[in-house]
Amino acid sequence: MVQDMRLIELKGVCKSFGDTEVLHDVDLYIRKCEFITLLGPSGCGKTTLLRIIGGFEMPTSGEVLFEGKDMTGIPPHKRRINTVFQKYALFNHLNVYDNIAFGLNLKTPEQLGVKTKAEKKAEIERRVSRMLKLVKMEGYEKRSTNALSGGQQQRIAIARALVNEPEVLLLDEPLGALDLKLRKEMQLELKAMQQQLGITFIYVTHDQEEALTMSDTIAVMNGGRVQQIGDPKRIYDEPKNAFVADFIGESNIIPGEMLEDDLVRFSDTEFQCVDEGFEKNEPVDVVIRPEDIMIVGEDVGMLTGTVQSVVFKGVHYEMIVISGQFKWKVQSTTMQPVGSRVGMTIVPYNIHIMHRTDMPNIPDNIYVPDGESREEA
Amino acid sequence: MVRTHRAKALKGAYLALVLAFLYIPIVIMIALSFNKSVSRAEWTGFTLDWYAKLFQSKQIMAALRVTLEVAVLATAVSTVIGTLGAIGMQAMNTGMANVLVNMSYLPMTTPDIVTGVSLMLMFVFTKVPMGKWTMLMAHIAFDTPYVLFSVMPKLRQMNPNLYEAALDLGCSPLQALYKVILPEISPGIVTGALLAFTMSLDDFVISYFTSNTDQNLAMIVYSAARRGVEPTMYALSTLMFVAIMALLLAVNRRSGLENI
Amino acid sequence: MKRSWYASPYALWMVLFTVVPLLFVCWYAFTTPSGAFTLDNFSKIAQPMYLLVLWDSLRLALYCTALCLLIGYPTAYFLASRDFSRAQSLVVLIIVPMWMNFLLRTYAMMTLLEDNGVLNTLMRAMGLPGMKMIGTEGAVVLGMVYNYLPFMVLPIYTVLKKMDYSVIEAAQDLGCNPLQVVSRVVLPMSIPGVVSGITMVFMPAVTTFSISRLLSSGMVYLVGDMIEDYFISMNNRNVGSSISLVMLVLIILSIGFLRKVDPDSEGGGLW
Repeated sequence: MVQDMRLIELKGVCKSFGDTEVLHDVDLYIRKCEFITLLGPSGCGKTTLLRIIGGFEMPTSGEVLFEGKDMTGIPPHKRRINTVFQKYALFNHLNVYDNIAFGLNLKTPEQLGVKTKAEKKAEIERRVSRMLKLVKMEGYEKRSTNALSGGQQQRIAIARALVNEPEVLLLDEPLGALDLKLRKEMQLELKAMQQQLGITFIYVTHDQEEALTMSDTIAVMNGGRVQQIGDPKRIYDEPKNAFVADFIGESNIIPGEMLEDDLVRFSDTEFQCVDEGFEKNEPVDVVIRPEDIMIVGEDVGMLTGTVQSVVFKGVHYEMIVISGQFKWKVQSTTMQPVGSRVGMTIVPYNIHIMHRTDMPNIPDNIYVPDGESREEA
Repeated sequence: MVRTHRAKALKGAYLALVLAFLYIPIVIMIALSFNKSVSRAEWTGFTLDWYAKLFQSKQIMAALRVTLEVAVLATAVSTVIGTLGAIGMQAMNTGMANVLVNMSYLPMTTPDIVTGVSLMLMFVFTKVPMGKWTMLMAHIAFDTPYVLFSVMPKLRQMNPNLYEAALDLGCSPLQALYKVILPEISPGIVTGALLAFTMSLDDFVISYFTSNTDQNLAMIVYSAARRGVEPTMYALSTLMFVAIMALLLAVNRRSGLENI
Repeated sequence: MKRSWYASPYALWMVLFTVVPLLFVCWYAFTTPSGAFTLDNFSKIAQPMYLLVLWDSLRLALYCTALCLLIGYPTAYFLASRDFSRAQSLVVLIIVPMWMNFLLRTYAMMTLLEDNGVLNTLMRAMGLPGMKMIGTEGAVVLGMVYNYLPFMVLPIYTVLKKMDYSVIEAAQDLGCNPLQVVSRVVLPMSIPGVVSGITMVFMPAVTTFSISRLLSSGMVYLVGDMIEDYFISMNNRNVGSSISLVMLVLIILSIGFLRKVDPDSEGGGLW
């Protein structure tokens, strides 16, 4: 049953540029009508993956299936896929109308469901004005693309792709150049458009918040591999490894060891948890979200520590608490003065245990032993 | 894949043909400058005689001096007034600056021959004797826009607050000019100067109309060519080619050739 | 002292040595040698003989421009394509001859085309009959193309190179086959480069006097030659000025026309 819903499927896709391997054995499928985001830091291979789906790059090995048929060698202009490019890539020798009509003009009247050239012209006009309405740019037909703001160019680029009624729309960091407020607005609009049109969106971004807001499915990528794929809530709540935990939201990542099922030790303390299936005394990464740590009295805390700094973040305070060898990032709605001693408790459900992986990309500030840098520890 | 390979080979062959078209005449000319025979039709052995003759010719040596004197002086003057012009224009209101910029395009759009005869008319009318000094005036006139247009982009790239920062820190306007602005735009100035020098060395048409008594090298080449082909001219051409190449390399070091 | 005053020597020099001389051309064009106002200089050059020279100049310059465009556009296009890893040095090779004095380049052409020149010697060595080349229009056009081809290639190359590659990908994405990519996107977007290439080739070609003089030994007579003769050997500066003025106006009009074709751009010009 799930098999039927697969629109695009990548099987063992590898891609190298010269000696650099950008994608390593990627398996991924994309369902019909879903909003999937390829999320990862720059250089993780997400754009290359998108370009392979779009037909702009050939995989070095592996295959790309579209509705079960191999489309690896098919050039972009023969795919039922359209792209919204990173820097818009509008044709500045054409006005807004002609930019949007560009793809339709290349089609025969029959392909547009009409008979004569005159009807084709009318049909194009109809479709373009419908698109302009969708992206809220009515009345801009005759404008030159150079005279538009970044946000407006973005809308035209989206309209230009969507007017061709593709089955899949690829978006390569389309909101990257916009300011924060406009970005939030466009995120919601894009999501609404996708739901209204009922087509598949494949979206590339490095912004985890954007990914969480818009996606049905997120594929977190790093180092040319898909690290985890799943719906946003699952990825946030149950990160598969320390990289995902760190990249999605904020985390404390602490080395520990699994004593037995449901019992872990870190920071010289034993904690109840809800993870099973690890080997006895296996070294693991323990991930705890800052909002999952509760500040309590010093005498009742599972861990005790000293508040090193406090920053007011609007809804909550963010504190750094030094406990044992580690700096803990804690979010709380009540403020504790710097220098005060506090206790911290964590409920078993909020302790996430991960197999230890070599993740050189994890920023150093995650668990810096007291006063020293990580390397010297 | 096979098709793209073949396409690439075809493109390469086309480019090779174009380059051959551009270079074969030059290469032949350089080769002939070392040919013993006066005839272009046969190679009778290697010689440096034509180069020796070149350096013995009083006329050619005099022309070399004129060329260099004019080029050096024209470069010096045009670099100073062009740079000052760019700095001044930046401080102007846009209307006035536009007038000046358009005026600067004038010598670039006017055909050389018209620029040449127009200057000639003025010199004839004012009865200024036409020699290397009038040639120099003319060269300054067509060199300066090149300096201006090399310096202006550098000025525009410069952070506009730099000048104000210098004043704020206690510089007088003049100090701010040579302590802050000039160092900041010096790459543009040097490029402009090299460009002006090259243009000046290279000029024939305007010099031809603005000087009677003194000839520069290009004028010598023209008058010799009208009499027919002569191997000394090949030697001269080869040397001028080498000189221009050396200069271009210097400019290229600074700016990248396509920016010129 | 206000900073804008720094520009005054520049302004003064430009007025004195660019604007004023052009006013002299106008003045001479409308006066007799004794200084009286006249239109005779213009009616004189309206005679068929003069018009024919003007026509020949335009014709040969157009041939030259067309040939340069025909040869130069593919050259620029191939150089800007991503096929050649060393395209950068190839571009430098195209530019280098541009900086060689055009008299030297023409001189080199002479060497090839002369009756006893390199080409004729080669042909005779191969048993072919020699060919009269110097003195023909063909030789003059060839000399012009040889001189001005890089001026066509460079601006087109600059525009093509600056073109965002994702625009080409966007065209493919929207359904263009490779031919349509060129005709619907690359070509229209490179118009500014073509315009400035045409300007930079046509202008010097239509006003040249030395190329025609050297490669045709006077057999092909162009406007530039006529101006040279009026100023240098015939010493009739009034008629010479009127011819110069007509030519200047024609050139300004054609530049204006080209700007119309491509209004919003200074093109990928040289400066």
